[in-house]
Formats: sequence, C-alpha cells, structure tokens
Amino acid sequence: MRDRTFAPRRIWIYLVVSLIAAAWLAPLIVVVLNSLRTNEEIAQGSMIGWPQHLAWSNYAAAWSGFCVAETCAGIRPYMLNSALVTIPATIFSTMLGAIAGYAVSLWRFRGDTWIYGIVTLGLFLPQQMRLLPWTIVLRDIGLINTLAGLVLIHTIQGLSFTTLFCRNYYVAIPHELIRAARIDGAGFFRIFWRIILPLSAPILIVTVIWQFTHIWNEFLYGVTFTTGQQQPVTAALIALSAAVADIPQHGVQSAAVIIAALPTLLIYLLGGKYFVRGLTAGAVK
Amino acid sequence: MPITTTRRRLLAGSVATLALPAFARAQGAVKPRLTAISQWSAGSDGAAITALGKKFEEKGGVWQHSPVPGFTTEMMNKLRAQIMAGDPPACSQLKGPEIAAWSKIAPTVDLDAVVAAAGYEKVVAPDLAKLHKPGGKWIALPLQIYSTNMLFLSKRAMDKAKADKIPVTWAEFNDLAEKMKSGGVAFPIANGGTRPDDGQKFEAALAGISPLAYRAAIMNLEKKALEGPEIKAAFAQVRKIADWMDPNVGAQHFSTNLKRFVDGDMGMMIMGGWAQGVLRNAGFKFEDFTIAPGPSDNSKPVFLLNADAFIFWQRKEPDLQAGQTLMAQLVMDPAIQTMYSQITGSIPVRTDVDLSGEGWSEGQRTTAAALKNAIASNQAVLSMAHNMAQENGMTAAMIDVITEYVKNKTIKPEQAATRLAEAVEGAR
Repeated sequence: MRDRTFAPRRIWIYLVVSLIAAAWLAPLIVVVLNSLRTNEEIAQGSMIGWPQHLAWSNYAAAWSGFCVAETCAGIRPYMLNSALVTIPATIFSTMLGAIAGYAVSLWRFRGDTWIYGIVTLGLFLPQQMRLLPWTIVLRDIGLINTLAGLVLIHTIQGLSFTTLFCRNYYVAIPHELIRAARIDGAGFFRIFWRIILPLSAPILIVTVIWQFTHIWNEFLYGVTFTTGQQQPVTAALIALSAAVADIPQHGVQSAAVIIAALPTLLIYLLGGKYFVRGLTAGAVK
Repeated sequence: MPITTTRRRLLAGSVATLALPAFARAQGAVKPRLTAISQWSAGSDGAAITALGKKFEEKGGVWQHSPVPGFTTEMMNKLRAQIMAGDPPACSQLKGPEIAAWSKIAPTVDLDAVVAAAGYEKVVAPDLAKLHKPGGKWIALPLQIYSTNMLFLSKRAMDKAKADKIPVTWAEFNDLAEKMKSGGVAFPIANGGTRPDDGQKFEAALAGISPLAYRAAIMNLEKKALEGPEIKAAFAQVRKIADWMDPNVGAQHFSTNLKRFVDGDMGMMIMGGWAQGVLRNAGFKFEDFTIAPGPSDNSKPVFLLNADAFIFWQRKEPDLQAGQTLMAQLVMDPAIQTMYSQITGSIPVRTDVDLSGEGWSEGQRTTAAALKNAIASNQAVLSMAHNMAQENGMTAAMIDVITEYVKNKTIKPEQAATRLAEAVEGAR
C-alpha cells in the first residue's frame, strides 16, 4: 500500500533527477567524445558529434607527445610534479589539521576559540590577496620556484579547512572519553594517537579528498611559484588551450583533461562514500 | 616510508635548483645568457619562441625561457613575483601601454644604442615605436604584428551572393552582406563570442569610418571626439554587423564557426590576421576564402595594430647583460622576424622585409602591404580590443559597453556613444 501511494511521485522525482543528471553529464560526454575525435574532424564538423573513427592517438599525444615549454613530453612530467606537491601537502595539512582540530575542540585552553577563529579566517581570504605575501615569504626562505615552496603553501593554507573539518567532527566526541583517558595518565599526544585517531577515519577521508582535489586542481600558485619544467599539470592544461594562431586542440585537450582528472576521480571512488557522511557528521551538533 | 622519500627528493630537488645558477656562472664568465618569460608555451607560438631560442643558442648564448601558460594575468603574477623576489627575468613578453605602466615598477634597460646601431626606428610604424619607448628611450622591442581588422570572405558565400568584388568601403560591405543574405547565406557575418570579438567589430567600424576620429577618441581619449558623430556612425555600423551575426555564439572561440564560414552558411569574418593560420591548421584550403584589408571609407587601408613585444629588465650580471644585447639584436634582425612570422602567421614588425618569397602566404603579403600603405597615409592605429590602445582597465570599460550594445538591440547608437564616453570618464 505504501508503495502504491508513493509510486507516481517517485517516477516524477526520478524523471527530474535524471534530467538534471543528464544536463550535468552533458559536458563530460562531449569531452569524452571529443577525446576520441581528431582535431581536423572537430574543426571541420562541429564541437559536438560522434567520433568517425576512434582517435586513440589523442591520448598518446596528451600523455607523452605534445609540446609544452619547449619539451615534447605531454602532460606526464607535469602529472608527476602535481603528485609531488599534492601528496605531501595533503598528508601534512590533514595531520596538522587533525591535531589542531583535536586541540581546539577537546583541550579547552585560554583563547582557544580565538585561535580557532583566526585559523579558519583563512577560508575567507581570496587567493589573489595572499599571492604577494607568499612571494615575500618564499623569497626570504629561498623556496621561490621550488616544489617544496608549493608544498609549504598548500600545507599552511590547507590548515584552515582541515582544522575546521576536524574540529567540527571532534566536538561530537564525548568529553568523558578524554577525561577517563587523562585519569589513566594519558597525555595530549597519547590520547590523540590511541583514542582520537582511530575514531577519525570518516573525517580524515573527507579532508584528504578535499585537500587532494583542491591542491591538484590549483593553478594560480602553481603557475606563479614554479618555473619551466616544474609546473603542475594545471599549467600544462592551460598551455594546451591558450594558443592564439592555432585551431584549439580540442581532441588532445579533452584527452589531457580526462587523464589529469583521473587521480582526483580515483580518490573520490575510493573514499566517496565517506565524503557526505563525514561532511554532515559535525553539522548535527 | 614513502612520505620521507618524497620529502627528501623534494628537498634535494630544490637544493639542486637553487645551486644551478651559481654553477652556470662559475662555468663560463661572459657567455651571453637570457632568462625570459612569456605565455607562449604550446602550438605555433611555442614553436616560434623555441626556434628563436635555437638561434640564440647558435650565437653561443644560453637560453633559459620559462613559459607561463595561460593568459596575460598569470604571466603578470609571475613577473610581479619575480620582481619582488629581486630576480626579474632578463626579458619578458609584454605589449601595448602596459609597457609604460610596468616600466615604473622595476628598472628597465636602455636599448637606444643597440636600436640605433640596427637602424631600426625608421622601419617601425611610428605609433608602434612610441609604445616601446615610453620615457623617450627604447626599453622594449616589438617582435611580430597582427592586424585585428582583416576581412575574410567565404568563397561559397560569395558564389551564393553572385559577387566577386571585394568590398572596400563600409557601404560596399553592407551591400555585399545584403546580397549574401538574399542569396541564402544564413548569417552574412561569422563571429565568435570571446571577450575581444565585439571590441574588434567596433574598432574596425570606427577606424574604417575615420582613422582620425579613432586616434582622437580611442587612443587619445579626447572628450570631444568621444562625443563626435563618428562614434555614433560606428555604433550604427556595429548594429548592422550584429544583426547579421548568429546570436548563439555564447563565449565560443571564433574557430567554432569556421566550418559554417567555409561552407557558405556564414559569409564574412572581421578577424585578426591570425585567423588564416587557424583556418590552415583546421585543414581548410586557401581557395576556400579570400583575405583583404578591413573596410575603409576613404578607400586607403586602415590597419589596426596588435603587436607582441619583449621588455628588458635591468640585471647586474654581465652574462645576462650580454644576453640582453644579443636578444635585442636577434629580435630586430629581418631574418629572425621572417622565421618567427612564418611560424606564427603574423607579419614582421619591420616594414622593409620582402614577403614575395617562399614561406609567406597570400594573406600575409596582403597584410604587410596594407600595413605599408596604412603607415604612408597615417592610418596605422593601435587596436583597442587587443589592449594596444589603452591599459587593461580602460579597455575593459570600453568593451563592456560595446558587448552590451551588441547583445541588447534596444540600445540606440546615440545612447551607446553616450555610455562609451561615460565609461571612459569613469575608468580614467
């Protein structure tokens, strides 16, 4: 009976949801189709169309063929650069954020809300505003034009997000748990390692996904604070699309975009089911 | 642990990068070296600058070019970061009035001696030369030129219109568009929807109606000229053009419509000279279209200049200084300009380069001839849409007015002229 009364409404909902999903997926479908069409085919026909024959060569060119910055090695070296920045920066910012979130949520001390407030203030500062201060910092510590400099930037800037996420999650942990552990003689770090960290899987997965995606997709700092062969993959993608006198390389571009999106996609597939769960975990409180 | 390996590798990498310049200095004392940044990293732009680098190396120099992919903003961020870090590149790509603006931020190199030695000044369009010597001294050198108002005619659309005469004035242009329309060409004007596109239509219209008014209003921002009848006439012409365009361009690149243009579904394209390279790279044949100078009511070609250039930043290192001199000499060299333009499809800055030989297209020859004639009749002016006439902020204010006018057909030409004058006042 329940099923019968809800069925028509359900169909309507599914219809609407499917339409929205189709509209949402349309650009992706165009990109996937174009990644299999040659440049000439796109230029002589239309941006939208079925591949006449599958041009897998686009993927080969995107991965290791086309020329950026006077070397013709595709996006492969730039993918490596992005990984060298993204992986350490994600790990550092997540770990530091977890410790900071744990400190401001479960260890009340004078000014803890102020510290929390100041750290999360970073969320509201536009990227462009922080560009020059970072230039001065990197210059003074000698890390300008190095990948290590980018790791530093993303670790510190990531702290705003990771602290916010972890703090909101840890707030829900009963204080009795901490008190009991303290009575047993456990200190700040022991409680963190033995009690908090084992409870943190959902929120850590959220911050890892969040940080990884943001750092991987970041362009402004990547292009400003690196040079030549150290540039991240986003810079290589833009290089592909910004030629004046050329027909836009839609085929190779599409293939390159898909390859470059794979790492973030993989992270989502592995941890996606925790994502919404973790995001909403702290919200109920 | 994988983490430590990554971190260690990173540190080692950064130490190596830091140590590299010192190592290079120790190796050879006076070997010319050039650090350069540009946004040219891929496609024919990337190929051309790579070829220039090869020539630099052939002359015994060390070429250190770091492309900053993307648009001008990204490159400017990079340049600002390098200047603040006390390590400006020996030269960097920059164009238009931004040369004057940026020259106030960090000291530039006085190139007067090397320019005089090459006898360069007399073979460069006067308005262009002025841009590169903002304080009276050459601090930057133009590398290649495009015109932004070339007229591309589709052969098949011409057949549909049963026309074979290339329009010279705006009246002839309008006639031809009408003929195309009645001959079954769906949209007599092919257009894209990117930011400069509408600006290009307006500047082509105004400069074609009166180069004098263009110079006074757009380049010199004279209030009287901005309120003059030519501006209204230009907006009226832009309205005609807009009515002949496919309104569904969104923010698409003009190349999206090339197929319809070649097929004769679209008739004419007012576009920069670079479009012929795009047509060629898209696999279309030169027989499919004709290139001519944009319409000009006094029948003499009007040339809207867009030129890429390098600005030279002061460095103390002798090898970089030697590199700057070598680079300046190369950029002014007719053989180098020939090589460069043949790769990108532009035309040389020098007006004394012979384009009759192999390797030049008919479109490039037409463009170069148009430039020569336009200079002779003082009708070579600087493009607004491509940031040659004004700094970015002013250009943006103007293009906002023009784009709104193109899209909103209820705005009258007189209203648009008033709005343009107001926008200029606001952005001043």
